[in-house]
Parts: sequence; structure tokens; C-alpha cells
Amino acid sequence: MHSLVQPNEWVVLRLPSDTLKVLQIVPNTIVSLGKYGTFSSNLVLERPYNLTYELLDREAGQKDSGLRIVPASELHADTIAEENAAANPVNDDKVVIGGDGVEFELVAENGEVIMRSNRETIDDSARQTLTMEEIETLKQEGTGAGKDLIAKLMLSHTALDQKTTFSLAKYKLLKTKKYLRRFTILPMDVPMLTYWMMEEKDAAKIFEMRDEMLALVGCWANVHYSVAPNPEASETGGRWLMVDETGGLLVAAMAERMGILYPPQDAPRSLYPTEAQEKEEQALQTSAHSPDGFRTSLASTNTLTLLHNNAQPNLSLLKYFNFAVDTPNPTHPLTAHLHTLSWLQLISPELDTTYSTPPVSHTPEELLAMKSGKRGTYYRKHRRWARTKSIVDSTRNGSFSGLVVASAMDPVSILRHTIPLLAGGAPISIYSPTIEPLTALADFYSTSRRTAFIQAPPAGFEELSSGEKEQWQGDEDFPLNPTLVLGASIQTSRVRNWQVLPGRTHPEMTGRGGAEGYLFTGIKVLPAEGKVEARGKYRKKKAENEDKTATIKTEENGAGPEAKKRRIDADLAEVKAERDTRMEDVSQ
Amino acid sequence: MASKLSPFLHAGPVATDDNLSIIHLKRDLQTPTILRSYDKDDEGYSEGKVVNTRFGSFPHKTLIGLPWGSQVRASRVDTGSRGRRQEKKKKRKSDEAGLDASKEEAGDTPKEEKETVTASSGFIHLLPPTPENWTSSLPHRTQVVYTPDYSYILHRIRARPGTNIIEAGAGSGSFTHASARAVYSGLPSTEGGELSVSASKRRKLGKVWSFEFHEQRHEKLVKEIQDHGLEGVVQITHRDVCEDGFLVNEESPKADAIFLDLPAPWLALPHLSRSGPPAKEEKEDAESNGMDSSKGKPFVSPLNPTVPVHLCTFSPCIEQVQRTVSVMRHLGWTDISMVEVAQKRIEVRRERVGIDNGQQRGIQATPANVDEALARLKEVEGNFQTFHGQEPTGETTKPKKVKREQNPNNRETIMESLVERKVYKEGRLVHKTEPDVKTHTSYLVFAILPVQWTAEDEEKVRAKWAIKVRKTGDQEVDGEVVGVSRRQQKKAARQAMKDNAAAKKEASLSAPPSEDENKDLIADLEKTLEV
Ligand SMILES: C[S@@+](CC[C@H](N)C(=O)[O-])C[C@H]1O[C@@H](n2cnc3c(N)ncnc32)[C@H](O)[C@@H]1O
Repeated sequence: MHSLVQPNEWVVLRLPSDTLKVLQIVPNTIVSLGKYGTFSSNLVLERPYNLTYELLDREAGQKDSGLRIVPASELHADTIAEENAAANPVNDDKVVIGGDGVEFELVAENGEVIMRSNRETIDDSARQTLTMEEIETLKQEGTGAGKDLIAKLMLSHTALDQKTTFSLAKYKLLKTKKYLRRFTILPMDVPMLTYWMMEEKDAAKIFEMRDEMLALVGCWANVHYSVAPNPEASETGGRWLMVDETGGLLVAAMAERMGILYPPQDAPRSLYPTEAQEKEEQALQTSAHSPDGFRTSLASTNTLTLLHNNAQPNLSLLKYFNFAVDTPNPTHPLTAHLHTLSWLQLISPELDTTYSTPPVSHTPEELLAMKSGKRGTYYRKHRRWARTKSIVDSTRNGSFSGLVVASAMDPVSILRHTIPLLAGGAPISIYSPTIEPLTALADFYSTSRRTAFIQAPPAGFEELSSGEKEQWQGDEDFPLNPTLVLGASIQTSRVRNWQVLPGRTHPEMTGRGGAEGYLFTGIKVLPAEGKVEARGKYRKKKAENEDKTATIKTEENGAGPEAKKRRIDADLAEVKAERDTRMEDVSQ
Repeated sequence: MASKLSPFLHAGPVATDDNLSIIHLKRDLQTPTILRSYDKDDEGYSEGKVVNTRFGSFPHKTLIGLPWGSQVRASRVDTGSRGRRQEKKKKRKSDEAGLDASKEEAGDTPKEEKETVTASSGFIHLLPPTPENWTSSLPHRTQVVYTPDYSYILHRIRARPGTNIIEAGAGSGSFTHASARAVYSGLPSTEGGELSVSASKRRKLGKVWSFEFHEQRHEKLVKEIQDHGLEGVVQITHRDVCEDGFLVNEESPKADAIFLDLPAPWLALPHLSRSGPPAKEEKEDAESNGMDSSKGKPFVSPLNPTVPVHLCTFSPCIEQVQRTVSVMRHLGWTDISMVEVAQKRIEVRRERVGIDNGQQRGIQATPANVDEALARLKEVEGNFQTFHGQEPTGETTKPKKVKREQNPNNRETIMESLVERKVYKEGRLVHKTEPDVKTHTSYLVFAILPVQWTAEDEEKVRAKWAIKVRKTGDQEVDGEVVGVSRRQQKKAARQAMKDNAAAKKEASLSAPPSEDENKDLIADLEKTLEV
């Protein structure tokens, strides 16, 4: 996917200290790595990703460095030598200085001795110190990308002889990271963005959502590429509903899973639409003559529909994928596949100005008489309105394939409005940095609460149609209709990093604290109760629903109070079990 | 080619004939079932094909056509007729032996199926299959990779729509299904369905290249993949990958990503090379045993030459990890890292300490607080004094008497506690980790093999993008230097100072006091590095 660095693409440079630099590779500019030096952007442009470079010493009279690709063999030379030394232990303690003159090693005993003893000393040869003159020369030379310096520095450091090989290796590692003028160039993709946001940029902004949680969220919501194979069977395509307050990270992650985050390889990758594209756009606009004919260029399947709190969605992180919501590039797949609407547009569209006031229509004759600039504005307005209307109407029609949420708002309030929009069997994935909002939610779907609900539904509930039952706004005892979600559960997952080095393999000693991160999952279900009718006022596909109704109805023969009792009986066993364990806990 | 759509990829709104569906009985208890409107195997039920569960029997025809997510009641099925089926099978055998079996013939026709009747208890939910519910309900033939691991692995190895992924060994196919969903980007025959800007462009079609050397497992998986309509996305090869590598019909899968769940992944690694296994210059490099370059055929790499290849190996033991990592280093893999994934499921409940549940007799609930404890003690004290003919002192606390005459576990009592007392709201909402925790699944080793970049490649690009180097004395053009903002530059400078101080401290901590000048030298040297 990311093979070569493209002009203006966002990339990540990883420095020896493991710090990351995020920047755009703009042709014909100079990239600065601070104290490490500067180099021409053209030196990495259209070169492969995941290569490690070394800044070469500047040539006389030049301000910027050249680059050299560091081969993997050189990257691993240290460790491989260490491994070989461990495999062929020599009895004498010794210090080996890199034979090739580029790298250096400090190797003593094999692994076992290292781990046992804290008093191993190294050979006298390590006690050399540098003379004043040598240091002066070194300073002047500034050679070898710091490696010579490290080698000499370490040898000059007489305290080294007090250290075991174990700590020596650590010591060397630290020094190496600080001084080597190397960097690795990495593509900016979702795992990278997540890592960078978490470790360096702003973990709180993305709700401290780690890669492992992000990956779980997407899987449990079953988010995947799902374009309906043919237009007649559009219901076989996937449409996911989202609430994302992480600045667009979650949108990016889901889009990546659906294959709509990166422009297709052959499409121009420039950040701004090219002239040709702009012309194409204009042509599209002017070709339409009636308001109905305005092309909204919205995809109908493999889409993400994002509900947002403010008038405009905050998707600032999508800029790293060269997408901006307010100036969408027509060739970017998100332009057609990402549909955004506000909660107001979902719940009370009539109160939303954009939605409820269609722009005035003009006849083709009037349009022809207009100045081209004015005509352009006219088309743009129409297109904006048509887009909004189409998004709002299709969203309110429901039948979404799944729901994905990362929001600071109470999940109960989100589900109250989104559950009716989900198709039967649709998975629900809600991420929260803390567990409390999710335990509260799970409690509203507990077996005992559901059983009580079925046994004695709230006043007036039974008289509702099943569509209305889905829309039911809850009451004090039952904030959500507990029969609409199956298998409500909460999980958390955590990755533990290890260091794997010869004789020194162990979990990393420090990690990041902060929010643990939790995931609520469940499945929207259709309770078998009485009759099933069109699913609420959001639904429009009457005919289709009536069909379903018919099927269910035949199933429902002999429903009524009997059926209710059956469900309760099944749940009772669980309630009993739940209570008995509780009793045990208490009586202990 | 696959004429039907896989329910894993395009579930559609309703359960359909001949497709896999998941019968959800209760949490952690799901039964995968391929729905058949017609009982080909003839199991002898008069209702046609039937799913029998502990929550009742469900004839397939009561399920086909239902919207996904439907709650379905059990049907009254005469399970006794199962006995007849056995008999019939026996009869068939005898039939083969030339005996008369015409009596059974009538039973074979589906015409005899009778209408289903709703049973008096039991229900299930009908769910579309997903890699998640498939993984937790599939028939285990080996250890499998579960959701917390596979989700993370697929994320890290960049398995996305359009990716070609190699998987070995396929085992029970858990990972196979998850990766099929991840890389699926359409089928060759169904191109261009959607009219949209992006879909009209040519897309790379993702595929899973799966390998398994165990014959029965291979066969089972081939069948499963067909049954699940995934044969257009998954290609399974019967192969020992350590011996014979990853080419399929002598052609390269052009893999972008690789997942190895094998006992000895290091034996497979030499095949996953860009330019053929390295010559055995190092004698102690016994790991490279797996490949044999003596076959004389030119090496064809199974990897996509144009992208960095992402690899993950999955091994339960640390020794496997060490060997794998060592071989990776020798073979030029970079960014090698190892992690473990630990997932926990959380149980949410209401803790009702001190609340009289009115359940089992004889069990006294723990008081919720000191006041309650005190009240009870007083009560006991009062009873004691009464017994000894004295008047109870102080306030008399009446024991909360719940109707003890009825069995606390019967339906009515529980219902009462639920509906009237709303026990679901009582007590404190608490959570804890569920009793069974998988504390170790396997170690995950990740690595990347960058693209090969030759001198010619470099030359070509250099011709296109002329190198720009500033000469000393050139005028600085504003905005020319990218990469770091003013603020970042300042921050870097500050950090450098900090590092410097830290290094000094480190030196002073470990160096013998006599070496003061030495410390200064070090500090000096460090400064020389700051351009
Ligand atoms: C633990 S199982 C894989 C489970 C699988 N990842 C899943 O999620 O269901 C390992 C499989 O690798 C197969 N296997 C072992 N060595 C192999 C080899 N050299 N070539 C092909 N398959 C191999 C075994 O037969 C076994 O089925």
C-alpha cells in the first residue's frame, strides 16, 4: 500500500532516541532533524518506506547533509556479534571494537555469567582514556556520524570497568540512541498515527485509545470492505454508523478497514485538487439541469455515517491522510464514502437550516442568463443542500450494519437515538477510556432488568407497535429498552512489549499509565413479541418491511402471554444463578 | 466462480437458504448452522432439517428468510423420530447388501414435512456469521487464534482491503476467516457494482494464501471455505511450507503481509525472501537449514516486490521467539518487535450486601454498615433478655420478616423481587474480571522487510528529483526548512540540554571521583555533536 514516499505525503521519521517527527515531504525543500542535521527532501522522495538512513558528514562549504541507506545487516551487526560471542564463549573478558571500523561492540561473557554476577569487570584495554589532543581532533572532525565518538567516549569512561556486561550493554544502547545520526522513514497510517498520538502528541485527544483497543473496536463492529456487488442488491452492502470525538482517528481506522482511507494507487496523490480535477468537477456541476439531477456523488454502500455534536465535525486528524472535510478532494474516497450529519439533523432535521431550506430553483433559461460566477455559487449551494438532504434522509431510514462509538457523551443517550437505526444482527462497539460509563450501560441490559421489563413492561408500552417499541425513549427504571441488545459485555485488552536480545529477553520495564480503555459490545436484536411492523418513523422502505412482518407473523402464532412466560422462564435460570453467586459472595 | 455472496462479507438483511448462520443460545454458546430448506442428508425429521439445542428444536424452515437478529421460538419437534433415522441408515446398508428397503422410500421425500408448531418454551437468536462468532463457535481441530490476538495482528501487519496475505498453518481456520474479512476488496467477477468515484477506479483485489500440511485439516478447511462462500477470497494449499515454500502453482502470491502460526517459523522464513536464501557463509547459521538452493530453479520470491512486507509469527514459547528473532536478523528483517496481548472480560453486577433477599433460609446477610450490625446485635441482645424474663431495653428492632413460608427460589418469589422490589436497581454497581482469564496465548513477533533498492533505482529517482543542497553563505529563504517548527526546534534544543545534563549526571554517578576532568571531557564531546 505504502510503497514509495509520494510528493506532499505525510511521513514519520523515527530518530534513534525513538522520538518521532511527523512531516510532509514537500519537493525541493530542506528537512531539519534539529541537532542531527538537515537534508534535502528530494533525497527521500519516491524512495521506499521503512528504510533507515544515516546523515552523512557535510561536505565542505555545504549546509546540508547527504544520506546513506543503512542496510539491515549493519543495523543488526551489534546484536548478531553479541549473539555469536554468547554462542562461542571465550574465557577472558574482552572488549571488541568494531572490526569494520564502522560499528563497535563491547562484549564480555556469555549470558549466564551476566545474569549471575554483578561484579564482572572488563579487561584493562577498556580503561584507556582519551588524551586532550585526541578529543580536540575528534571535535574538529565531527566524523563518522557519531559512532567513532561513542566508541571512544565509552572507552574513555573509566567507570565502565565497574559495570557488568549486562549494564554495559544497556549503557551502550542508551548512548547509541543519543548520538547516531540515523532515522527511519515510516508511512503515516492508522497504527502509526495512533502510536504517535499516544506516545508523543496528545493521548487525551484520542481518549488514550491504543492500537489493540482500536483493532478490537473495528473487529467487533465487523467493519470491512462491503460494496454491494450489484446495485439491485444494495442491501448486501455495508453502511456503518459512527460517533467519533477523537478528532477523526476512529473514522480513519474504520475507513482503513473499509479501503476508503487512501486514494487508489493510480489516482493523483496531491493534497489539493489539480486543475484538471477542478474542471471535471465543474463539468459535473454544469451538466445537471434540474435540482434532482444535482450529482451528490455519494456512495450508497461501504459508507461511514458520522454523527457529530457541533455544526461541523471535528476530523482534524484526517489531514494526515490528505483529506479535509470542508474542502474535500473529489478523488479522495472519503469524499463519497464519509457522510456526516449533526445530532440536530438526525433528531430534528426540520430545525436545521441547511436541511429545511432548499435553495431557490432556477429554470435552465434563467441559469443561462446568469454570470458564470453566480451560476457556480448556485450549483454549489444546490449540491450542498442535496448532499445534506440525501445523507439525512438515508440515515433516518436506518438499517445500518453496525455502530462504532468513541465519545465523551453518555453512551446511554447515544444508544437511545441510534439503536433504532440499526438493522437486526448489527454489532455495537463502544469504546471508553474509563469503565464507569460502560458498566452503567451494561447494567441497563442486565438479565434481571430485562426479565423485569418483559414481566411487567412500563405502562403503555405493550400498546406500542414494534417500531414504536424500538423508538421508545426509556423511563427511570428502564433507560433503554433492554430487549433490543443481546450479549452486552465489556472487555479490555493490553499489549505488553518485550525486549528480545541475546541473553537479555524480558518484558519492558516501563510503560505508559493513564486510561486502561474499555470496549462495550452487543448486538441489536429483534425481540419476538406480538407482531413486528415497520421499524419506526425513521424507516421508509414500507414494502420491504411489510414482507418481513408477514414472515414474522406466521411465526408468532400462539404468541401473547404464553410467549412472554417462556422467555421469562429461560431468563429465570440466569437470574437465579446470578443471585446465587451473589449470595455466596456475601456469605463468605 | 462463487455465484453466491459469502454471509461473512455480505450478510444481507435476512438469513438465506444454503448459507451459514449462527444460532445464538446464550452467551458463549452459539451453534453455527448452514440452513437448508431441503434435507439432503435426510435426518428423518418430518419438519425437514432441524437444529436441536438445549433450548429446544428449530426446524431450518422456521429460520430461513427471517431478518438477522430475530428472536425465534422453539418448535415442537418429535425428537423420537431421530431413532428412526438410525434405523433407516442401517436399513440403507442392508439395502446396499441387496435387501428390500422400499418401505423407507416414502420417508425420503421432503413432501412429508409437516407444518411446525411452536413449542411451549425456549428460544434462540439468529445471527449473521462474523469472524468473531465463528471463532468462538467453530469446530476446533487445533489451537486457534482468538479475537484479541488476531485483531491486533491484522492491524499491525497492515492487512487491509487489497492486501495479499500469506497464512500458515491454517489449522482450524479461525485466523483464515478474520483475515479474509480484512483483505477482501471485491471479487474479480463482480467488479464495478457501485457507481462512485473510488469504485470506478481499478482496485487491487485482496486474497488470503493459506497453507496447511495436515491432510485432514486441509480437506476440512477447503470444504468449510466453500460452504462459507469464501473460495474467491481464500486459496488453500496443501503444503509443508518449511520444506517447499510459498509459491502456488509455481507462481508468487506477491504477499504484502504474512502470518506464521507454526511450531518452527524460523524454518519457513528463508523462503520468505526477496532474492533467495542467502548463501551459507556462516557455518554456525544452522537455522537456514530449511531451504535448499540445490534445486537449480531460479528463485521466485513469494513477496510483493514493491511494498515493505509485514510479518507476524505466533509462538507460545520464548525459545521459539529467540530463534525466530535471531533468524530474522540474519535475513535482513527490520523493526523487529515482540509483544504479548492480554485480554480480560469484565463482569458487571450489583452487589447487594446487607440487603435482605428473602432467599435461602438460614443464611444471614452481611450487614451493609455498622448501624445495621448494631441494630442486629441489639435485637439479639433483646431476645436474650426477654428469654431471661427481663424487659428489653432501648428501642426494639423488629426483624425484617419476609414471607418465609414460600420457597424463595420459585418463580413467583423471584418475579416479585424483580418487578416489585426492582432488585435490578438495588445495591452497588460493581465490576470485576471474569473468572477465566487467558493469561498467555502466544508471543507475537513483528518484523518488516523493506523493499530492495538498487543503485539503478536510486539513479533514476535522482534524475527526477534533483538534490538541493544549501551552500554556506546562501540566503535563508523563509519556509524552506520543513520538518520542525520554531517551537519544535526550541523544544529540541531544550531536550538536548536536558540530555546533556542527564548524561553528565550519569557520568558523575558512576565515575570515580578522581575522574573529574574526564567528565568534563565527556560533556565536551557531547557538545560537539550538537550542530
Ligand atoms: C496452531 S495451528 C494454526 C491455527 C490457526 N492459526 C487458527 O487460527 O485456527 C498450526 C497449524 O500449522 C500446521 N503446520 C505445522 N507445520 C506446518 C508446515 N511446515 N507447513 C504447513 N502447515 C504446518 C499444523 O498442521 C496446524 O494445523
